[in-house]
Amino acid sequence: MSHVSGGDMPGKPPLYCEREDWSDIVPIPQYDGVNPLAPIFYNPEYKDATDYFRGIVKTGELSPRVLELTEKIIRMNPAHYSAWQYRYRTLLAVKAPLDVELRLMDSLAIHFMKTYQVWHHRRLLLTLLTASPSTATTSKPLPDAFDIATSELEFIARVLEEDSKNYHTWSYREWILAHVDDARLWLGELPYVDDLLEADVRNNSAWHHRFFVVFSRGGKRSGASPVEEAEVLQREISFTKDKISLAPNNPSAWNYLRGLLDHTHTSWGKLVVFVLPYTQLQPTTHSSDEVVDLDNPKPPAEAELPCAAALDFLAEAYVREGGEGVQKAVTLWKSLANEHDTIRKKYWEYRIKEALASKLV
Amino acid sequence: MGAEPKLNIPLHVKYIQSLGENKDDLTYHLTAHLRMNAVYWGLTALYIMKNKDALDREEMIEYVMSCWDEQAGGFGAHPDHDAHIHATLSAIQILVMQDALDRVDVDRVTKFILSLQQPSGVFAGDAFGEIDTRFLYIAVQALSLLGRLHELDVEKTVGYIQRCRNFDGGFGAIIGAESHAAQVFVCTAALAILDRLDVIDQETLAWWLSERQLPNGGLNGRPEKLEDVCYSFWVLSALSILKKLNWIDADKLIKFILSAEDLEHGGIADRPGDQPDVFHTQFGVAGLSLLGYPGLEDIDPVYCLPAKITEAKGLRKDWEALPRRV
Repeated sequence: MSHVSGGDMPGKPPLYCEREDWSDIVPIPQYDGVNPLAPIFYNPEYKDATDYFRGIVKTGELSPRVLELTEKIIRMNPAHYSAWQYRYRTLLAVKAPLDVELRLMDSLAIHFMKTYQVWHHRRLLLTLLTASPSTATTSKPLPDAFDIATSELEFIARVLEEDSKNYHTWSYREWILAHVDDARLWLGELPYVDDLLEADVRNNSAWHHRFFVVFSRGGKRSGASPVEEAEVLQREISFTKDKISLAPNNPSAWNYLRGLLDHTHTSWGKLVVFVLPYTQLQPTTHSSDEVVDLDNPKPPAEAELPCAAALDFLAEAYVREGGEGVQKAVTLWKSLANEHDTIRKKYWEYRIKEALASKLV
Repeated sequence: MGAEPKLNIPLHVKYIQSLGENKDDLTYHLTAHLRMNAVYWGLTALYIMKNKDALDREEMIEYVMSCWDEQAGGFGAHPDHDAHIHATLSAIQILVMQDALDRVDVDRVTKFILSLQQPSGVFAGDAFGEIDTRFLYIAVQALSLLGRLHELDVEKTVGYIQRCRNFDGGFGAIIGAESHAAQVFVCTAALAILDRLDVIDQETLAWWLSERQLPNGGLNGRPEKLEDVCYSFWVLSALSILKKLNWIDADKLIKFILSAEDLEHGGIADRPGDQPDVFHTQFGVAGLSLLGYPGLEDIDPVYCLPAKITEAKGLRKDWEALPRRV
């Protein structure tokens, strides 16, 4: 809790109870009655600010000094949702310049990125700033929604440099892309995700975002021709194969592969040639005269094999073939249950039972 | 279990009782926005550990009622805090456990909750407007406990959950957001309460959930993230609702949860060696209950309330925990 300072440091600003310009407000202390699991707390600065906040709420005042007070409280306790809510109402009431507010929020977002109010407040501001110009008060002429969103995406990227898997930050990025929904913004997302996966191929948030951009929300808006769609599919399969070859035991990449095949109704059987080497006990040795198959990169020599996700994938591909495939799948599931993924033994046994039962029908 | 570590119930009971006494602790004031939730977590953990009466009933009911926001018609997290849907559910859950639901103005709370539903079907948490499938679940559960589920637009609500489904079979906090075990729990439990589990691909979802178990036995919330005791409830509850709880290795998980116990001060932490808190204590104990750990009460994974309570109210759904060990 290092961001909360005591009230007795030299050079501290005066408390609200010491300030002439706040003398018209009656501070209301925190309720201190019966209170199980909820003790009374002592920090002069925080107590002072929140006492005056309760005083302000009581009188219903919406004025510039409320912005100062709520900022102070938020900096001490960013999860104080009433302070956020009251701040937003005040911003609108006093027609505060929202671009200035957004810049103020930049530093708060980085400090308090795990607090969802920080992101929700931003979302409210952006909703106003990207709406028709008349709804937002700003300090200078407002750029168009595309420019605003572009600078937001750059800002979000800076925050993600601090924590590349932050859930609220990612949700906010996905929201703003869908909200502004500009083709130029969507185009920039793929190179961005490429960079993130280059830095950390196991970043599940980045894999999720890739799917969001290429197939789900971003994919829906493109109006691509069937040829273009086939190219995208090919590109994504190749990309994922490459990433799997870098880190074969990476569940995020395997999940992406499974997801994109099902989403595009592509047969899993097409991937069997690629997946097989990942199901072997030893990496396939590369002989010098062997033609390297660029379409199907092999696991690296140091890989831990076999890879449970590959065995799982292969079994799934086989069982979907039906017929002889079912028995092949059962053999793979048995190896998972008894040797390669024993922690999920019961799951694999369930798959075996279900597959054999449906085969009999 | 022989020489295995044991859940130190007396110590954890003492820990929860002591939480209200630490009057100089800065953290407590900064978490005032979670105070009502903390009381609910503490009481539920005590109930599951068969020590329901370790906190004073009258005092607790009085505290809950002091958080009533007369203007909004809901409960705040603390006296004088604005009404919030999360605090409102916790208040209702506490009053249900204390058999004091008659203290609530059911018409007004119902109105408050329904007023937070958005055109898309999701719910906001409060007047500030943050949306999340957590708030949707909270609304569904609260209406169910109040006997007012028939006032909900079920199709619209279920529709939003369906649109949060991701390519990996899981669910996120809003449309487009990454799959996360806590969000999977809220979506699955909301569908269970609404008797609409038919809209999801249960097998793929249960597979995704079982993949959350790591070699050390603990569960994570997303692929490639660290294990955390609280997922013992989020993942296990969803698997119980899908009747696939045996897809995870119970012995290994029990060992992991117990390794996060603070055997000096009491309480359970997110992972071994960290500071315990009432949130992880509750979800660790709840997880152990679902795993059939001996000496505990059954917890209802749909409502995160003692199963006795939901059964008495005729709300029990078709879920399966592991048999209680002796």
